[in-house]
Amino acid sequence: MDYSKFISKLSSRRKPSCISELRRALDNCSPSLVWLASGMPNPEKFPFREMTVTLEGGKKLTLSKETLSAGLQYGPSHGYLPFRNQLKRMVEQWHAPPRWAESDLIVTVGNQDGISKALDMLLDPEDFIVVPDPCYSDFLCMLSSLAPQIVAVSVDDQGMRPDILQSALEKAISSGSTGIPKALYLVPNSCNPTGTNMGEERRQEIYAIAQQYDLIILEDDPYCFLQFNDKYLPSFLSMDVDGRVLRFDSFSKVVSSGLRIGFVTGPPPLLQGITLHMQASCICPPMLSQVLIHELLTSWGDEGFKKHISDICQFYKEQRDAMIQALKTHLTGICEWIVPEGGIFVWLKNPHVMQPCNPWNYVLQHFIRAVAAS
Amino acid sequence: MDYSKFISKLSSRRKPSCISELRRALDNCSPSLVWLASGMPNPEKFPFREMTVTLEGGKKLTLSKETLSAGLQYGPSHGYLPFRNQLKRMVEQWHAPPRWAESDLIVTVGNQDGISKALDMLLDPEDFIVVPDPCYSDFLCMLSSLAPQIVAVSVDDQGMRPDILQSALEKAISSGSTGIPKALYLVPNSCNPTGTNMGEERRQEIYAIAQQYDLIILEDDPYCFLQFNDKYLPSFLSMDVDGRVLRFDSFSKVVSSGLRIGFVTGPPPLLQGITLHMQASCICPPMLSQVLIHELLTSWGDEGFKKHISDICQFYKEQRDAMIQALKTHLTGICEWIVPEGGIFVWLKVLHLSDTSAMLLERGAKGDIVLVPGREFMVDSTKPSPYMRAAYSCVTPEEMMKGMENLAKLIQKEIELQSTHT
Repeated sequence: MDYSKFISKLSSRRKPSCISELRRALDNCSPSLVWLASGMPNPEKFPFREMTVTLEGGKKLTLSKETLSAGLQYGPSHGYLPFRNQLKRMVEQWHAPPRWAESDLIVTVGNQDGISKALDMLLDPEDFIVVPDPCYSDFLCMLSSLAPQIVAVSVDDQGMRPDILQSALEKAISSGSTGIPKALYLVPNSCNPTGTNMGEERRQEIYAIAQQYDLIILEDDPYCFLQFNDKYLPSFLSMDVDGRVLRFDSFSKVVSSGLRIGFVTGPPPLLQGITLHMQASCICPPMLSQVLIHELLTSWGDEGFKKHISDICQFYKEQRDAMIQALKTHLTGICEWIVPEGGIFVWLKNPHVMQPCNPWNYVLQHFIRAVAAS
Repeated sequence: MDYSKFISKLSSRRKPSCISELRRALDNCSPSLVWLASGMPNPEKFPFREMTVTLEGGKKLTLSKETLSAGLQYGPSHGYLPFRNQLKRMVEQWHAPPRWAESDLIVTVGNQDGISKALDMLLDPEDFIVVPDPCYSDFLCMLSSLAPQIVAVSVDDQGMRPDILQSALEKAISSGSTGIPKALYLVPNSCNPTGTNMGEERRQEIYAIAQQYDLIILEDDPYCFLQFNDKYLPSFLSMDVDGRVLRFDSFSKVVSSGLRIGFVTGPPPLLQGITLHMQASCICPPMLSQVLIHELLTSWGDEGFKKHISDICQFYKEQRDAMIQALKTHLTGICEWIVPEGGIFVWLKVLHLSDTSAMLLERGAKGDIVLVPGREFMVDSTKPSPYMRAAYSCVTPEEMMKGMENLAKLIQKEIELQSTHT
């Protein structure tokens, strides 16, 4: 694929950080090299000397001196190497991407930061981006500042409708804009906000349309492990024969949201734009957070990870069941809803309210607030 | 001050995150409120149950269940509240800002992320930003994508020269551009890369010029605590009678760089633009990092903090002394340098070379010595530069001696190489 056409003017001007680039030389350097290039503080002076974490189940993890030191020092902009390698192994195992040898993976400050930087990398104001309608609200906030041309595609109970997508793209192309349709964003599993899952056939249809119009697919998938029926639908990454998918994973819903760790998998020329932006902003993702998750996953192994996922799925399934029960008890005849098969959201419709309403005034009972559609 | 004139078009379009804004309602809510608004995972399912940290000196800190839970969950975009309050108390104590009641403070993912988001908030491509020349190279990287009009101001041994600043601003204003000079960036203490400190009188001169041209001052001050002579120069924040300073602090050099925590102090209308950007990107700064630093600072108290600063200053002073000794031993007559009074850098000038880039980037690693070429810090990176930046923070005195010996050989070879080509 020709990736150069996708890079925004702002991103194409981005100059690599010489200091970050020089730091790569440390990966394979002679032991006699005297390194005076990076403004790194001396780790001996960091006041934290030891760290022990107790996991669910009681197991204790004590970070080695070297690991703790790595967690407290600047690290590579694209992520802590042992952690990246671990994640790559997991992604290869889960998705078997057809172009795995031509792919790479970087760590970001939560998956949303990866998405934000991907949009900065891709979109000039005249370009088009396809979004489902309704769409994750924070994604619309990201678009609000960039102000690209938005192609909104209505959804059904599987997400974006291919027929509407096709006609919306045709309309965009013939609009006379100097921009091009660049990317398509979706949350294929337990979509935020609708809670729906996009079926396998629908995913293939969407992928085919993305091929036809040469779009980058932004696969935002923070709920992929929160599926209640042990049914994992194939990801867009797993069907990516062209190298047009940027997949955004998150640890927020399965390990911790406060650690702020996500990761992006995709073609190196696109990851490069995000990495350069990392160099010029946060420098690197939080190292201690990466170290802790790495140690946790190592401690668990594949079996431990599966067990944890199974446990949290069971928990959220019970939460969902209780929610549906509460809805049935109090909102039958007042609202409509689809029962979600995963994730943490239920999308409610009050068919009697036609006007957009102020969320602060949307009160079903005295003690409930919900994010209202508007 | 009229802050609206400073906000870039991109920033003015930024829509607040409804979810983040709704979350503010949790601060003062009724105990009977049922909150279904944010997509927050259930903290009972996070696999970390306890955390204990041992500090230098042997003291153990065990995070309480509530504190660990806060560290593992999404938090406010502008920072973990107890930590923000703690930092505000410290900033008030250190700087006594004249407009403290009208100021606020937010936490960022390292201070550089705060600066990056401040630039996104302020600069349209037609606007002017004033930078010292040479300038911190990563700051120039941030500017490279935004591509504003850069007003480069030469420096002397105190930093930006006021006379050159004044004439450069006059030139910008009369250039016919539709943009305005918006901001002035500087690193007043142990400047990166030159290592110089800007004296108090110079700071007042620069502030006065910023007033005259109505500029926002971006005070980047990660080395403020690494001053070797117990002499703390007044910050721009401490003289900010107008509310035109955005001050960027960092914990990277005094507590940990890997935790990625910095903070920004300044006028709320400007912090708001950064906060909205946080909402739409990382959501919040890393919570566990904030919790750990908060617990550490609480455990230390003011006395413990002062003791720690004193200890690291002593350490870096000895590092500096060893570096200067190594320079004197091997580079007298080959390089010039100013002895830094703080921080971690020394800025070297090679006497008989016009440019150091090829030498360091292509031949340095083979010569077992790597410094950053001066050209990376120059606003016009196409021009040759005989300078180099050396960081003395992480090497032993023995390594410094060896390194400077290697550097002397490398320079000698380069001089010979260049003379065979001419």
